[in-house]
Amino acid sequence: MSMRINFFKPKHDTMVAVFMLLPSLVFLAAFTYWPIIRSIYFSFHDVMLGSDKIFFLGWENYERVLQDSLFWKSFRNTAFYTLITIPVAIICALLLAVALDTKIRAVALYRSIFFYPVMIPSVAAGMVWVFLYAPGYGPINGMMEFLGLPKLEWLYSSDWALPAIMVMSVWKYSGYFMLILLAALQLVPRDLYEAARLDGVSAWHQLIHITIPLISPTLYFVIIIGILHSYQIFDYVYVMTQGGPADATNVLTLYIYQNAFQYQDIGFASTVANMLLLFIGGLIAVIASTIGRHVHYLGK
Amino acid sequence: MNQSLLKRYGLHGILIPIALLWISPLLWILVTSVKTRVEVFDASSGLLPQNFIWDNYPAAMAVAPFGTYMINSVLVTGSILACQIVTISLAAFAFARLTFPCKNLIFSLFLLQIMFPIYAIFLTNFITVRELGLLNSLPAMVVPFIASGYGTFMLRQAFRQVPTELADAARLDGCGHFATLWHVYLPLVKPTLVAFAIISVVTHWNDYMWPLLVTNSESVRTLPIGLGLLAKSDSGADWTRLMAATVIVVSPLLLLFVVFQRRFVDSFMHAGLK
Repeated sequence: MSMRINFFKPKHDTMVAVFMLLPSLVFLAAFTYWPIIRSIYFSFHDVMLGSDKIFFLGWENYERVLQDSLFWKSFRNTAFYTLITIPVAIICALLLAVALDTKIRAVALYRSIFFYPVMIPSVAAGMVWVFLYAPGYGPINGMMEFLGLPKLEWLYSSDWALPAIMVMSVWKYSGYFMLILLAALQLVPRDLYEAARLDGVSAWHQLIHITIPLISPTLYFVIIIGILHSYQIFDYVYVMTQGGPADATNVLTLYIYQNAFQYQDIGFASTVANMLLLFIGGLIAVIASTIGRHVHYLGK
Repeated sequence: MNQSLLKRYGLHGILIPIALLWISPLLWILVTSVKTRVEVFDASSGLLPQNFIWDNYPAAMAVAPFGTYMINSVLVTGSILACQIVTISLAAFAFARLTFPCKNLIFSLFLLQIMFPIYAIFLTNFITVRELGLLNSLPAMVVPFIASGYGTFMLRQAFRQVPTELADAARLDGCGHFATLWHVYLPLVKPTLVAFAIISVVTHWNDYMWPLLVTNSESVRTLPIGLGLLAKSDSGADWTRLMAATVIVVSPLLLLFVVFQRRFVDSFMHAGLK
């Protein structure tokens, strides 16, 4: 009884803290830290799905990965997708946010229209765009024909399949980034724009010299969030193209999946997974040390 | 005055075409779901159907157990949210109001989770879940998401805004830490809890890859997985039935979004603010 009373007294902060953190830490350990450690361990071993035998291989999986042309193709596709889609989506989002940060009518309606794709499950979005891109009867080719442009094979063409998925991703994510940027824009003091306008500063220069520096912390946050969202390309590729045609849309997450569940090679799949983590981690480190350093924080 | 009017209409002139482009996939789903199969493949039949055909909806409901999928989706999303609220409330309180060794280090361990979404570590997580004997069960879709570094971060920020005097008053009234958390802190951060709940529900209701990996029978599948399966058999063949199924799958969240628009928009808007 007396122990119970002591336990709830403030001087036992540490004990209480352990108790409060434990539920989270147990699940973080099991489903975040352990998988990462295990993935590193597996990459140095020969592990097959459904088999208990594990053989030490040293760096063999890594040597194999570096000589694997399909790995490099998936890597290039992943990098191409991330490095183009995220900046394009963020620029679209920024322009939309600036346009909606004004006193025009129907702001709420516009905001909802640009945001609703976030509510749509990735599988539904992917599927609908398969229909939109259909070469024979799809409305996109119908529109191309109407505009006098050549019809394209889209998802069936090794040149256009990945760009087609990227266009869909911009549609899917811009609204989300737009909302986060809108919240930041609303905190920019109005009189700054007023003063700039009186000095004859053009709208474009206001955007470059006032808006972007002042919302740079949020912009930086959106870039990081965007990169982490780009993992989700698995869903689109799985639903829309299965990595085809001729691996033109194969990406690292799908390649991990294929190696693990089609070839049952967990060791090799883990090695590819580690390379993906290295790529995303490296990308975030580069952004943190370049853009991150130029972020202006208001106040302090 | 004239110039600003022009500016105002000029902005609409740019925004309206973009908005139409953005909304067109949704309109396309709705329109196709009430067409006949012939009209889909006939380019000359125009954008709108001759007659509105509602048969596609019962046909979609009959071809797959969407009722079961819906129940599973509700159970999975609801369990994730309920567990998350417990874990993040406790952890966020500890980080916001208690002093203990290695606090910053442990906090960064929590934030590490944001850097490693399930898409990055699905493979070894799949093996863990299989070893735990959870494959093809509802808990398999819940356990990886019970702890949330992001939710802990969000709630810690909110707890820090609560005046310490309130907690001290509660302490004087004989409340322990747990009672203070329950009676003082949680009621005061309701808006943040709602915002987190909306983001969590939208994320996990729409989850595709992880449920796809860990389920292989009808009884445990969720709505997106069911739709994906139907898509595999129907696409290119029966778009009308597939689009009716899509309407069934996307409408719960979209309806909630339309009704609670402000809440949804505010939640996602301030999700990025530190």
